[in-house]
Amino acid sequence: MLHMKDVSKVYRTEMVETHAVRNLTLEVQAGEFVAVTGPSGSGKTTFLNIAGLLEELTGGTYLLDGIDIKQLDDRARSKLRNEKIGFIFQAFNLIPDLNLFDNVDVPLRYRRLTRGERRKRIEGALERVGLASRIRHYPAELSGGQQQRVAIARAIAGSPTLLLADEPTGNLDSAMAREVMQLLEQLNEQGTIVVIVTHDPEIAARAQRNVHVVDGVATDLERAPSLVRPTLAAAATGAQAG
Amino acid sequence: MFAYYLDLARRSFRRNLALTVLMVVAIAFGVGASMTTLTVLHVLAADPIPGKSHQLYRVQLEPRKANGARPGDEPPDQVGYDDGEGLLRAARAERQAWMTGGGTTIQPDRADLKPFVITGRWTSADFFAMFDAPFAAGGAWTAADDAGHARVAVITRTLAEKVFGTTDAVGKSLRVGGAPLRITGVLERWSPQPHFYDLDAGTYGVKEEILVPMTTALELKYSHQGGTNCWGPSPDGNSQAPGAPCVWSQFWVELGSPAKADAYREFLVKYSLEQKAAGRFQRDPAVRLRDVTDWLVYRQVVPSDAKLQTWIALGFLLVCLINTVGLLLTKFLRRSGEIGVRRALGASKRSIFFQLLVEAGTIGVAGGALGLGLAWAGLWAVRHQPTSYAELAQLDLPMLAATFALAVFASLLAGLLPAWRGCQVTPAIQLKSH
Amino acid sequence: MHFLPILASLRRHRTAAALIIIEIALTCAIVCNAVFLISDRLRRMDTTTGLVEDELIRISVTGISEEAPNASAVTLQDLAALRGIPGVKSVASTNMVPLYNSSWNTSVSTVVEDPRPPIESAGIFMGSPDLLETWGMTVVAGRDFTPDEYVDFEAARAQKAHIGSVILTRGAAARLFPGKDPIGQKVYSEKDAQTVVGVIDRIMRPGGLRGTDEDSYSIITPVNIPYTAGTYIVRTDPSRRAEVMAAADAVLLKIDPSRLIDERETFTEMRKDYFKQDRAMAWLLGGVCAALLIVTALGIIGLASFWVQQRTRQIGVRRALGATRGDILRYFQTENFILATLGIVLGMALAYAINLGLMGKYHVGRLPVEYLPIGAVLLWGLGQIAVLGPAMRAASIPPAIATRTV
Repeated sequence: MLHMKDVSKVYRTEMVETHAVRNLTLEVQAGEFVAVTGPSGSGKTTFLNIAGLLEELTGGTYLLDGIDIKQLDDRARSKLRNEKIGFIFQAFNLIPDLNLFDNVDVPLRYRRLTRGERRKRIEGALERVGLASRIRHYPAELSGGQQQRVAIARAIAGSPTLLLADEPTGNLDSAMAREVMQLLEQLNEQGTIVVIVTHDPEIAARAQRNVHVVDGVATDLERAPSLVRPTLAAAATGAQAG
Repeated sequence: MFAYYLDLARRSFRRNLALTVLMVVAIAFGVGASMTTLTVLHVLAADPIPGKSHQLYRVQLEPRKANGARPGDEPPDQVGYDDGEGLLRAARAERQAWMTGGGTTIQPDRADLKPFVITGRWTSADFFAMFDAPFAAGGAWTAADDAGHARVAVITRTLAEKVFGTTDAVGKSLRVGGAPLRITGVLERWSPQPHFYDLDAGTYGVKEEILVPMTTALELKYSHQGGTNCWGPSPDGNSQAPGAPCVWSQFWVELGSPAKADAYREFLVKYSLEQKAAGRFQRDPAVRLRDVTDWLVYRQVVPSDAKLQTWIALGFLLVCLINTVGLLLTKFLRRSGEIGVRRALGASKRSIFFQLLVEAGTIGVAGGALGLGLAWAGLWAVRHQPTSYAELAQLDLPMLAATFALAVFASLLAGLLPAWRGCQVTPAIQLKSH
Repeated sequence: MHFLPILASLRRHRTAAALIIIEIALTCAIVCNAVFLISDRLRRMDTTTGLVEDELIRISVTGISEEAPNASAVTLQDLAALRGIPGVKSVASTNMVPLYNSSWNTSVSTVVEDPRPPIESAGIFMGSPDLLETWGMTVVAGRDFTPDEYVDFEAARAQKAHIGSVILTRGAAARLFPGKDPIGQKVYSEKDAQTVVGVIDRIMRPGGLRGTDEDSYSIITPVNIPYTAGTYIVRTDPSRRAEVMAAADAVLLKIDPSRLIDERETFTEMRKDYFKQDRAMAWLLGGVCAALLIVTALGIIGLASFWVQQRTRQIGVRRALGATRGDILRYFQTENFILATLGIVLGMALAYAINLGLMGKYHVGRLPVEYLPIGAVLLWGLGQIAVLGPAMRAASIPPAIATRTV
């Protein structure tokens, strides 16, 4: 699903050249739940940006769902981003002067959907995260955890194949963090690939797979078999992971 | 999508009310000032007789003495008695009119109305048909009246109502300059702006209330108003007498096609040569046949102050525009965070560009509406100025549409750079720094 | 002051900075020219006629019927009667007056039948005896006309009488007889020679001011103008003008009731009317200047507020590191000063360019150098006042912002 090979990203200013990511090779298959860990400045956020088509890579190849993103112009990338990827940010990034309905609506607006179709998806997504009753409220009226859940609703309203989360629980207390992680796990069980960038080892432990990024290079970490959770896909093929 | 962008624009305005009001007001002021001056210019430079301005020609000949001639001299604007009467008699154009301005007194036959002074025009009969003068009652006098110095006149509706209390004044008698004249027709309100056929009698706001045959006016010695230019002494000191070396009247002809105009021009040259052979003209022929448009350009009718004011207003609009560009830029960049989120969620640069452009355009519409009000107020102020063209300063439909068009176009233009910069906001960076 | 860091920071925001600089430049250029035009118009409005305007009234009489065989005789009666009105100092009948748009002109030469007269167009004033006294003028050389030098208008026009003497203005005399004494010289404004008997200082010509030497060319001729061809001017005390105008009405109509008093006005009213266009232009220019300055100030406020908001964290950090409120304030004031300076420099060049354009098309003079510092000071001041609000807001940003992460 997500194939990165020898990807590198270099930031050039007048005086300094920063290699945020170098020779990063990674493959994520359907149904996986991946935690990307690493120290600050390791390049994991850059990796997320590249994976989410938010930034262009300097070198290497990246194939998303079989499509080589290097060929794509801005319009095509935006379309791909809109249809295949859902984002969840540490700072929620809801638009303050839109209510919940309109916030979840934003990505749907950039597709050709009728009013009825959009409404159905929005109500469904908010239902899914348990906030359908507050559909006309504004972000400022919600707690941090609730805001993050709305952000998740926004991310899934378009039925993406890939969810990318950047420290989704970073601004939440432990109770809310648990709620959010449960939600993400449920979504993963239903077939969505989830990739979380985090520096919290507890969060990382809940993931089926860990990728460690140091100095721009990614390495898979060995997982204890008992900690690997079965996925729907694995169950379907009858394979036992564990 | 357009409806969505409009909705987003509306929300954005509410959030940044002060900034939005500022931009709307700036555009409104620039547009209002520009439209006020442009309307005045549009009115002043308007074709006074659309439809016929390329068929009516002003005749100029060179009758002056040889002494004092300079190469490149333009012939005088006006003609004198001999050429006016002569060209009228020759009747070589489809229609021709020999005319000048004048003033006289009216003695109403009423005890309650004292005699008063009015401005008038002394002209030959073709004038009315040539210039499409509209009649409310009756009609013009005939060529026979011209030849016979008939005691007739055409008056305006205003004069008829003032003196007789009704427009039905045809056939009635009026004491004009001491002599009784019979009214053959009453004109509707009609006043070509500018007063192109005799600019020496005034450019704008000239009110001629009575028209009398030229021959009659000369015979009755009605006073002349306008320019007189003599290059020698006149017999008995009368510059309007036959043989006087003076020009004081205007000669207009109607010619239906450029070919006919060329033919008439040739006739004028032949006429000049004949006059030279007869000893009256002393210089080589120098004839001019300018149609109404050329004539107005030649006489530089539009006051330079009106042009200067328009330039100033446009300069003001330019500053307002640049101001708007700057304010729009700050407005959009302030929202980098939101733009970044939208981009991450799948909005292409083009979508963001159009979204921001629509926002700029709606400011333009609002600015245009307010600017229209300001232009209306500005023109009201102009109408209360004591200038001759004051009452012409009205907003007509084309100018009204132009106001909106200008505002929207200006704001879209101003919005191009900010919208472009706004859509360049890269998603990744903005998401990092809250 | 830290100019270089400020310049470097401006480079990073060069689009917005460029916009403000251009806006200041345009405003500076337009305001400089507008103020110059205003002063030009005000100067025109100050043009003196040479007459004692606040003492003069003009009265124009017209006959109801065109026949007026005794016009000259009646005119003499009119003048005598007008002189008899209490409060009247002097009366004359004349063909034209300054501050009026109708004018009589003639060419003047020093040789007969001159194909190239030195004066193509001079104003020709005709008047009854007492004309100079009514104007409130005296000759600066030579003498006024003597009673026997006056001729009747009709006779002069019909070439039956000859205007033998003329008075010139200083300008006309200098043009015709440069360096010489004009008194006694011969001039030709018609076929026969005329002798210059006197010179007056100056008189404003009727019609439009051309702004050239031609404005100073006029000749005065001793001609009795009847009321049918000219107008009466009456000199009286400024406070008695209304009273005299009313009395004049009655007096004139008593002499010949078959007449109309066509126009009556004081020269003060005539001056106001004559310069109405210039006055309107001056007001318009003033309004535009004010509006421009306001719009530019608001633009500066808008941009400065944005930059303050953008750099909130940076400012907090500076304060945490020891900068005082005054330091922050001065930072923004310096930044604004730099932008304004760049704008003003560009604006000066633009002002001259605009001036050249106007000179070509609209007969204005060259922009005097003194206007540039005025424009500069105005815009520096405007910028500093405009930036004060946002700068003070910046100065009050608490240092604690530096440690906040959200």
